[in-house]
This record gives sequence, C-alpha cells and structure tokens, in this order.
Amino acid sequence: MIPPRFEYAAPKSIGEAVGLLKSRGGEAKVLAGGQSMIPLLKLRLAAPALLVDINRIEGLDYIRESMGFLRVGALTRVATLGRSALLERRYGALHDASLTIADPLVRNLGTVGGNISHGDPSNDLPAVLLAAEGELAATGPSGERTFRAEGFFVGTFTTALAQDEILTEVRIPVPPHRSGGVYLKVEQKVADFATAGVAVQVSLGRGSECAKVGIGLTGVGPTALKAKKAEEAMLGKKATDRKAVEEAGELAADASSPASDIRGTEDYKRGLIRLLVARGLERATQRARRGA
Amino acid sequence: MKIVSVGFVDEEQDPDVRFVRGAGRYVDDIKLEGMQHLYVVRSPYARARVLSVSGGITGNELKATMESVGEDAGGRSTVSFPVLSASYVSYVGQPVAAVLGGDKYEAADKADEVDVQYEPLKPVMDPERSLESEPIHPGTESNLVAAAELGRDFDLKAPVEVEETLRMERIAPNPMETKGMVASYDGSVLTVYASTQSPFSWREGLAGSLGLKEESVRVVQMDTGGGFGSKGGIYPEYVVAAYAAMKTKRPVKWTESRYENLLATNMGRGVRGRMKVYADRKGKLKGLKADLLVDVGAYPLGGGAWTAKWIASQLVGPYAVPKAYAAAKAVLTNKVNMGPYRGAGRPEAAFFMERMMDRIADETGIDAAEVRLRNATTRETTSPLGMEAPPSKRFFTEALRAFRYSSRKKKDKVGLSFFMLIPAAYGGESAKLAVEGGRVKVWMGGSSHGQRHDVFAKKLVSEELGVPQDVIDFQHTDTGAISGGVGSWGSRTAILGGGALVEASRNLKAAAKKNLGKKYSPALLLEGDYEAEAFFKPKDMLNTLGANLATARLTKEGNAVVEEVLSFYDAGKVLNRFMLESQVTGGVAQGIGEVMYEHAVYSEDGQLLTASIADAGVIHATEMPKSVVMTAAHRSTLPHGAKGVGESPTIGVPPAATRALEVLLGRRFTTLPIEPEKLWAHDLPGRERTR
Ligand SMILES: Cc1cc2nc3c(=O)[nH]c(=O)nc-3n(C[C@H](O)[C@H](O)[C@H](O)COP(=O)(O)OP(=O)(O)OC[C@H]3O[C@@H](n4cnc5c(N)ncnc54)[C@H](O)[C@@H]3O)c2cc1C
Repeated sequence: MIPPRFEYAAPKSIGEAVGLLKSRGGEAKVLAGGQSMIPLLKLRLAAPALLVDINRIEGLDYIRESMGFLRVGALTRVATLGRSALLERRYGALHDASLTIADPLVRNLGTVGGNISHGDPSNDLPAVLLAAEGELAATGPSGERTFRAEGFFVGTFTTALAQDEILTEVRIPVPPHRSGGVYLKVEQKVADFATAGVAVQVSLGRGSECAKVGIGLTGVGPTALKAKKAEEAMLGKKATDRKAVEEAGELAADASSPASDIRGTEDYKRGLIRLLVARGLERATQRARRGA
Repeated sequence: MKIVSVGFVDEEQDPDVRFVRGAGRYVDDIKLEGMQHLYVVRSPYARARVLSVSGGITGNELKATMESVGEDAGGRSTVSFPVLSASYVSYVGQPVAAVLGGDKYEAADKADEVDVQYEPLKPVMDPERSLESEPIHPGTESNLVAAAELGRDFDLKAPVEVEETLRMERIAPNPMETKGMVASYDGSVLTVYASTQSPFSWREGLAGSLGLKEESVRVVQMDTGGGFGSKGGIYPEYVVAAYAAMKTKRPVKWTESRYENLLATNMGRGVRGRMKVYADRKGKLKGLKADLLVDVGAYPLGGGAWTAKWIASQLVGPYAVPKAYAAAKAVLTNKVNMGPYRGAGRPEAAFFMERMMDRIADETGIDAAEVRLRNATTRETTSPLGMEAPPSKRFFTEALRAFRYSSRKKKDKVGLSFFMLIPAAYGGESAKLAVEGGRVKVWMGGSSHGQRHDVFAKKLVSEELGVPQDVIDFQHTDTGAISGGVGSWGSRTAILGGGALVEASRNLKAAAKKNLGKKYSPALLLEGDYEAEAFFKPKDMLNTLGANLATARLTKEGNAVVEEVLSFYDAGKVLNRFMLESQVTGGVAQGIGEVMYEHAVYSEDGQLLTASIADAGVIHATEMPKSVVMTAAHRSTLPHGAKGVGESPTIGVPPAATRALEVLLGRRFTTLPIEPEKLWAHDLPGRERTR
C-alpha cells in the first residue's frame, strides 16, 4: 500500500476519539477494521489528514441480548458474528450475512460498525438491519443519538452519521416467538460483493400466516433498500402461497434500481431479486416454524 | 491418473519449497546502496493531445522509442511507441513522466511535481469501428496495422453451411508478482535485475531504446512470480528506470502496484472471428472461411503486427479440410497494447474452430466427438492455410477412451475439445553447464517464471552426467553468464531448453573425457573444472495434440458452473509428472477464468473498469472445477523425448467448458467470457424460454 501521507492517532476512549474528529473537521476519518478504508487509501481515493484508529477503545466488542434488543458493539468483528450460537439460533439473517461477507481474512478484521458506517450499497449488513427494523447508536460531541435503520442510509457512501460521530452499537429487536430470518446472496465468485442480496425477516401468526415481514435488498440501488410494498403485500399471507410469494418478489424487484455493471445487467439483477425474495420468504418461514 | 489440488507442494519430490516458505528472492527484495525508487506518471485519458509536460523526467528529455523484442517481436509497423510521450497519449495508463524518491512513498508523492496539460480527444474503443474512425496516431492514414490473406478464396455449395461470429474478449494476464526491475550503472555497464521471461530480450530492447551496445547491458533474472506472456518483452517503464539509473549514477528500483499492472500491462486476446464452415450431411468438412479482427490496442508492439496472421494460420487445427480461406486484420484502439497471454493466438484459433465443430454436430445431429473423429487425420498434413499438423485420429480415439466419453455423455452435460499445440520452437534455445568445486551450475537461455524448470533441469543433467541431483545448482538466466538465449514462453522451455541441457551435458562429458580419457567417471568429473554450452535447434516439427472434456451443473440459485475438467495431452515423455500436473492445473484455472469470469472492460471514454484483481475476474480455489490430468506418452524425436504442454489447458479448456455450459443451459454461446446473466438458468425478460 502506497497511501498519501497521513497522521495517525489511536485514542483509548470514545470521548477522546470524538474530540479528535471534531478538532480536525472533515480532515479526520475513523479507522476500524480498515477493510474498506485501506483500499481507498491505497488507491489514493481517500486522503484524510488524520486517521483515528478506534481499535484500542475498550467495551465496543460484544454480542448480547438485553432490554428487548440484540446489541452488537461496533467493534465486533464480522467473523465473531459467524461464530455466535445466539445469532445462529435467533438472528438467522445476521448470521447468514456474516458468513457471506468477503473471505475469512476480511471477516477477521472487518467490523460490524465499519460495515454499516461505510454506507456501501454492496455491503451485506445494512439490508439485514433494514429487514429486522434495527436501530443504531452513535456518540458525538453532544452525546449519544439513536437512529432507526430506515432512513440511516442516505446515499452511496453516505449515512446519517455526522463526521464527528462514532457508531457504537447496532440493535435488533428481539423477535417474538415463531420468527425467522434469512440472508440470501448471489455472488459471481466466492468472496465477491453481492450481485444481489436479500434479507428477509418474518414473524408468523397463529395460522402460520405472516404477521410481520421485513425485506432488505443489497447491491441493487444507491443504498441498501427496504422493499416496503413487498413487505406489506405479504402481511396475512403464507409463504406456501406461491402467488403471494412471487408477487412479493415482483414488488421487491420493482422497488430496486440496479445498475448494469461487470456483475450483470439490470434485468439480471432484478431477476435475482425476484427469485431471492420468493425463496427468502419460504426459508425464513421454515425457520420461523422451527422457532429460529 | 491423479487429481491435483491447487497449491499443494509435494515435499517428497521437492524438499526445497522455498517459494512457499517465503524464501524466494524477487526484484522487490533487492536493496542496493543509495537506491532510489521510480514512480511513473500516467495518462488519465485514453486519447489526448499533450499540450505541455514539465517536472520529473519527461519525453522532452528522454526521446527514446520502444523496440519490439522477445515474444512480442516480429512484423513491421510504421507507428513508433514513445517511452514517454510528450505530444499525445493513446491509452489510460500510458507513461508521460517519471519521478524519483528515496522510498516508494516519497516517489509517489513527488508525482505532484509533474504538471501535464492535456486536451482530451474522443477515443476509438470499438475495434469493429476502428477502420472507419479517425487515425489515432497523427500522421498515419488509418488504424489498420496488418492485413493478411491465407489460402485461396472459393465458391462452394454444401448441404450444411454454418456461420457464426465468435469473440474472445480481452483479459489481463495478472501474474501474482507484478512487473518490476532494479537498474544499476557503474559508468560502463548497466546491470538490470529483472522479473522477466527473457533477459536476452530485455538486453536487446534496453540497448536498442537507449542506444547502448548489448555488451554494456547485463540482465539478471530474479525469481519471477508469473508472467503468462506479459513479461516476455519490454515496457516503457523499464527504459525509464534504466535511463534514470544511468543519469543519476545511483541504483533505481521500479515496481508497480496491481492497479498499475492492470492499467498498463499488455493484455491478451481481444479477437473476433467470423467463421463459416461447409460440410456434408455426414459432418465431413468441405470448406472453411474466416474473417478475423484483432484489437491490438494503441501501439502494435506486443505482437500486434503478426497476431492476426498467426491465428489465421492455425484455424484448421488438427482436422482435414479440402478448402480454406482466411482474411485477417489487426486494428488500433485507444487501449493498452495487446500482447501474448498464455496460448497467444492458439486459444483463439482453437475456440473459433471448436465452436464450429459443435455447430456442425448440432446441425447434422451427429455426436460432437464423432464429427471431430470424422475430420481427424491419419497422416501428417499441411492445411490449406499453411500449417503442418501431425496425424490426429489415433490420438483422439485414445483421448475419448481415456475420458470414457460414451458413458460420461450418457450421465453428464459434456463438452469436448480437440486441438493442436504449436510450441514456439522457432529460434531454438541455449544451455550452459559449469563444473566447479564439486558442483554443477546450470543455466538455460530462458528460465522459470513459476514453472519450476529447475526440477526437469536437474533431472536431465543428472541423468546425462551420472551425477546426483543434489550437486546441481540451477541458476536463473543471466546474460552475463551465458552467451546467448531466447526466453521462456510458447510451451518451449522443456523441449528446447531441455534439449539444450542434454546437448550441453554431452558436450561437457566429451570435454571431461578428452581430459580424463578412459578413467572418466562422474566422481572425477566433479573434481575438475569444466564448462560447456549448447544452442539447440530442433529439426522436426514439434506440433502436438491435446483434448479436453468438461462437465457442467447448476448451483442451487440456478447459476451454471463447470464441474469437472479432464485433460488428455500428448506431452511426449513426461519429465516430471507432478510439475506437469501443476502446470496443467493452473492452466485449467485460467481456462475457466476466461470462460466465465476474466474480462478487461473499458468504458466508452476508455477508462478501465476492471482495475482490481477481483474485478479482473481471477478465480479462487472455490471456483476451480475438479481437474483430472492425463497424458499420452508418445515420445518426440528430441533427445529427451519431451513435447510442449504449458499452453495446452488455455487452448483446450475454453471450448470444452463453453460447450458443457451450452449443453446444460440449451443456449448458444459465442463470446467469452460468458456474461453472468447468460449463465443463469431462470427466465429474464426478452430472453426466449429455455427447456
Ligand atoms: C476483498 C474484500 C471483499 C469484501 N467483500 C465484502 C462483502 O462481500 N460484503 C460486505 O458486506 N463487505 C465486504 N467487504 C467490506 C468489508 O466488510 C469491510 O470490512 C467493511 O465494509 C468496513 O468495515 P471495517 O471495519 O473494515 O471499516 P473501515 O474500513 O475501517 O472503515 C470503513 C468506513 O467506515 C468508517 N467507520 C468505521 N467504523 C466506524 C464507526 N464505528 N463509526 C463511524 N464510522 C466508522 C470509516 O471512517 C470508513 O469511512 C469486502 C472488503 C474487501 C477488502
């Protein structure tokens, strides 16, 4: 890596880190796992004057359930998600997604906070948060703020975070009984970014109909997308209802706006969304039945 | 029959696995006293006038032009390729200036000191429209580089006539080690440490560009981490680095990043073939017509001037056809130069021909293997396009048996290819042996850039001299140590370098015998001081045959992938099975990459969109099909019986794998790589329903 010159600081507390970010205005950037930041530096696409390495800050690496939420610390490595039995049991979409991200080397370093803060429409975790009605907590110079996942992803590489705010925690509501989630991704080669990805979260009613549905889309728009019309269309319907499931796929495909690129044409990506949403609804329902 | 997994090193065969242990010694490991680092400033435009350039070393100071040498050499062109352009630029990444720094970081930062003013022009990107576009080089009349006609045009009516336009798109060679060198000048000799396939070509090219005598340039090859054709000639960066070392009288290192490598390294393929075949109802070929178009990029240096004709000459492949005619053109575009890439023209010819054989099978309803057998030959032939070929029928019959073709065809979606490999035997190759201090040093004129030539070299020398392998020290090529040589490419080193080693060993033994008389023994040989060289030029045709079978399946999301690749190649006497299997396995990976993933994509304004190794499509072990490597051991007429094999998989795998995918999906494929959506089994709007 031959980056331009930069200063480097490794504060031990959030307060200190926020202070550094504030003092340098737009010149300073957070460094977490570095798996998106370092590629930008090496290509000289980013040239921050100061990198604030947050890896020495303690207490930001955890996965736990408390007060109605699954809480994941921003410095939790993606690889840790993949090894969590709790996630495998109850947060299937997050668990699946963590296993499809890049390769083991990237997962060992890349963090949950970085994956979300980067605002990359091709990153896999944002869609999971959108499907699961997640929330985010961040600390800035004037204290903590929380955001809903919906509305957090403002544009390509832009989120609702201010330049001097640090994402600290990602929250997902503990799902009710008979809920299930799944993340499906088509990638051209293993370890590639998604050609298209779909996160589905369902909660079943008494008759196994969908009482709650969340659908998030990866790589098919300027940001990760929430397929609201598709979610609504599935309410009260069963995943065994072929017509309903296909219609939801259709609506999600309509909601997407993929760009033709080296991973495939717009039509192909829409086709994948159609297929993956339908299949995702079926699989999430199967998991919900098993109580996953 | 043995399955080789990618990346395993057989410790028993090769206790000295230094590359895997991190003990290789590459250009970037070199540190010389006072060494500076060179950074090259490149054009951000595909086509532009350079209004002014200042700062660093520029084309106003270094007015040299590039020489066409090594594997790139041959053909003629009126367009000259400046080392640093001061007047206009013709591709994104073209060098315009260079700066020096104490380390890589400082050198890269100093790029800011260079000021270039450009006036961007509309680039010519589509080779199909190159000839009707404005010439990209001022002062020339058109973008035509070369045109050739082979065979004689004919009129024919046949019961089966099939036409198809086929394409192999451009791909980046992507060696694991990017390009690089260190130059050092002592006032009389310029010494260059190189990541190369050919020190002798470098010597010729650097001396030519810089106006030096060849005796005052010495090129030493370092461990070289892959080339695939991209390191057989020279690049502007080499000339600038050598010039900078001479100018400053301090050593200069130039190594490039992956990004720079992708931007400014010659790319392979980029060829369109419009094919027409004539056959009877029994599938027997009656005639073949071809119209080829080669996209040579901005400067016809990487073989652009001869590739079109070279591909055309091979089109008939291992078959017999009474009439053939090919017209071939090479044209300029505003892309980095085309250059040799593993196979270099051979894969294009085989892909075009084998696709047509499959088309004849489809049109006549005759099995694809049967169609091929019916057109195979029973004696040596010279095609109407002028290419010699060995008899092919017996070999292909053997191949089908080795593949257990009939039973595979019943249970799998199968694609097949038959092809001929023409090794680059032209020019021969050298070898040298020196006995000193009880050890034998061995050089060849062209040396390993990843193939582990040391393994066969030690074996051949040990067998000839009767000395144990562990007293033999394999050396990379050094123009200061051996008096002449060619280089390593075109499936040539085992056959030619190997032949030269056998001859040099025999010369050495003769010299020792002259000295020792009747009491000669390997032990006494090692006690003396002896030297011998040989330059080996084979007399017979060395063209050989190969066949591949591939199978395909669907993933659970409905994406088609290649499941298994069987290779059956006539490699003559196998010098080392493990090394041969490793070579073929790597080539299978590149063949699959070419069919499904690898592609150099440019935007309309000439920017390279695939500028990372991931986007360029290099595959991982996870995309690798199961690979089975088999050989037919029909000795060649060479003293060691070997035949070429290095390029066989990139020739044979693409057509076989393409066919397997075609059979699986029921869709016709004409362009490589096949786009992702075309490999998806599900329906898309505007696509006709498939079975
Ligand atoms: C080869 C490769 C393949 C990849 N494939 C995938 C893939 O398939 N799917 C996928 O989802 N991702 C993929 N990635 C991206 C990877 O997951 C990154 O790790 C992730 O995008 C960023 O996380 P990080 O911790 O490395 O963040 P960094 O690279 O350190 O930072 C990324 C950005 O986020 C900011 N940031 C980081 N942490 C915080 C925080 N706590 N608060 C505020 N801002 C913060 C940084 O300032 C920076 O702008 C891939 C990366 C590579 C190198």
